[in-house]
Amino acid sequence: MTHPLRWVALGVGVVVAALAVVLALQVGNDQLQAQPRSELLGDPAPDFNVTTLDGEEVSLDSLRGRAVIVNFWNSWCIPCRQEEPALKEFFDSHRDEDDVALLGIVRDDTESAARRAVGDRGIEWPMGLDPDGKAALDFGTRGQPETYAITPDGLIVGTKYGPASVEDLETLLATARGQR
Amino acid sequence: MNRRLLPWLALALVVGATLTFVAWPRGGSPSPAAHARALAEEFRCPECQGLSAADSSSSTARAMRADIRERVENGQSDAEIRQAMIDRFGDSILLKPEGKGLGLVVWGLPVVALVVGATGLVLALRRWRRQPSASATDADRALVERARS
Repeated sequence: MTHPLRWVALGVGVVVAALAVVLALQVGNDQLQAQPRSELLGDPAPDFNVTTLDGEEVSLDSLRGRAVIVNFWNSWCIPCRQEEPALKEFFDSHRDEDDVALLGIVRDDTESAARRAVGDRGIEWPMGLDPDGKAALDFGTRGQPETYAITPDGLIVGTKYGPASVEDLETLLATARGQR
Repeated sequence: MNRRLLPWLALALVVGATLTFVAWPRGGSPSPAAHARALAEEFRCPECQGLSAADSSSSTARAMRADIRERVENGQSDAEIRQAMIDRFGDSILLKPEGKGLGLVVWGLPVVALVVGATGLVLALRRWRRQPSASATDADRALVERARS
């Protein structure tokens, strides 16, 4: 290839091919949904403040000194229903431990639907309301269920996107307690 | 002045005036609501496919709009608001890639392609101009005459 025009044509071809490859790799790839870990890992947890269905005010400050598992949930989400037996088993195992707190936060749902589901399905752990979605936004949630592990001094050290198993929840708790 | 250049100059004048009019900044600062809406258009709705936070009706998009509005009213700069969203969701919350890192490649590739293409076009045009124009010789004309008769 001695003529400069051929080099130019080759250059254009390479650039176009590179663009085509980049575009092809991006088709159907939602970077946010595909993101495997929370940006908040290792950071202080958001300073949330929610009112539970029982009328109790729960904030990050009120849970200081305890390993906290925060679970974003709602009444209509199928994966949340799949996760409920694991959450019930986990809650039963730790309900008498003063240094552990399990807090549900209602995400993208009405209070009445959440209240009905909690009653019908026998959910016993505190369920916080987040009507303006502020807590869900501050945690950078992308959907539900999502579960976060927070250390007694308020750092996020673990996350689980999608339904968590009992083993997942125990791992998150151990991480929050600094045992892993 | 070469009269053949006049139409090109007129065309350049019209294009330049149009671009200037379109790109010229409008007077007055936007209202907090308009400012917040413009910022929300920069962010991806985290739970939607290809929608901005300004265009989605999802709960998270609504919360994002309210959060942006509150931050605007509290006097935070655009850069601070962008950073607050990136801190929660990562760079992928931005609909337009930032002009650094991989984002620089995304912005730069079309420019490189344009420059390389324009260079190729100029080289090709110069090459075609250098080629001698074909003109009929006496022998060609005689051949045509013979064919006609």
